[in-house]
Amino acid sequence: MAKRVQDVRPPRKPDAEKWLRENVTEQKKRYAAIVREMDGIEKERQRWYAEFLHIVSTRGWNVNGDQRMVVPVKDLPKRPKGRSKVVF
Amino acid sequence: MARPHIEPYVELNDPFRKFDIAGFKGSHYKVLSLDTDTGACTLKVRFDGGYRRKPGLSYSDIEIFVLNGEIRVGKEVWREGHYAMIPAGYALEAISVAQGAEALVMFNDGEPNFEESAESHDLTLRDAFTSLNSYDDRPWAPGNLVTPSVASGCLIKLLRYEPLTEAFSFLYCMTPRFAQDNISYHDSAEESYHIWGTSWMMQFGDLPTGGYFWRPAYINHGSFRCKYGTIAFGRTDSKLHNYFHYNPWTNPKQNLLRAAAQVYRQRPLLYNWTVSDGHNHPHGPPDFQHANYFDNDPHVRDLHGHYHEAGIEHDHDHDHDGAPKARKAGGKAKRKR
Repeated sequence: MAKRVQDVRPPRKPDAEKWLRENVTEQKKRYAAIVREMDGIEKERQRWYAEFLHIVSTRGWNVNGDQRMVVPVKDLPKRPKGRSKVVF
Repeated sequence: MARPHIEPYVELNDPFRKFDIAGFKGSHYKVLSLDTDTGACTLKVRFDGGYRRKPGLSYSDIEIFVLNGEIRVGKEVWREGHYAMIPAGYALEAISVAQGAEALVMFNDGEPNFEESAESHDLTLRDAFTSLNSYDDRPWAPGNLVTPSVASGCLIKLLRYEPLTEAFSFLYCMTPRFAQDNISYHDSAEESYHIWGTSWMMQFGDLPTGGYFWRPAYINHGSFRCKYGTIAFGRTDSKLHNYFHYNPWTNPKQNLLRAAAQVYRQRPLLYNWTVSDGHNHPHGPPDFQHANYFDNDPHVRDLHGHYHEAGIEHDHDHDHDGAPKARKAGGKAKRKR
């Protein structure tokens, strides 16, 4: 493949360096706030999971498009020990 | 590190910040997500009334989606729903904004940068330039463009398709009372901004108008609900494959292993070759038609383990049993041809 414009970009200028540094810091704060918020709805989430598994074992889950498959209760996944995580 | 997992983020209540970089003065921005190494980012930009910019180019591919207002670009007027892909080095005509406008502005390769120029760079991929109104110029298509498919009621307008990586940018909508009872993950990162409407995902709750996510690969999302309808702009950074399942407690590592198991089942010869000794180099195997693909696509650079700054390349240690090592002790960096 031929060389691209991105390969010949000039070095980052000081104002861009400063912009990047400031916004990386801001993003870290935003990420921490998201994790806090998501941890805060954990109880509700476990209720949503239970409702979802009920649907999976009664009406079925969407395997592909609108095609559904019912999973017997005995085959449903069990909640593992420890805290669950949704933001990685 | 690439972009972190930002989900959910509702930007509407956060203030804009003044844009002080050349080419953007007279506008304000909010960062929705940012690659901490390369500076690649997705911004919501507010162009104030009276904003003007001379013709010029960027050293990054840029995608723009106009949310509201009017932006005059040369002889064109970009109104709400306008989508443009401006390849790196492409000299965009002069811009002016009479009454103010807001847009999603995405820099795919580096931080925001602008160089005044009436001429495009010699290396520009001119054919990649795209400019269309997504609301008027593209039809809605069923979501089964990708298989395994989303449920009926999730429709898509394809705006951009990158043939090498199969990354794509799209508009999507969920009809009122849309529901999909499964959990999904992908090999690609996925990004979305809610232009209007609220949808719900079992892990994250409601995502309203102004809601945004950048979700790295293999992270569970869904089941899905949408009560009154939603229209949103979305992107992936490589091929989107829907891995569906019903276990809410799996983590990205388990999801990745399941995806690899699928490759093993469906393409056993390729899987065996890939994992056999001598073939698991982070650069990926050679491609006679695209010799330097490992340096040219952001998600492949991430796989490689680090970004090659401005054309620098170097050697690796080769133990073939795990993650790449960054650089040989005393190894020499060298400038690419």
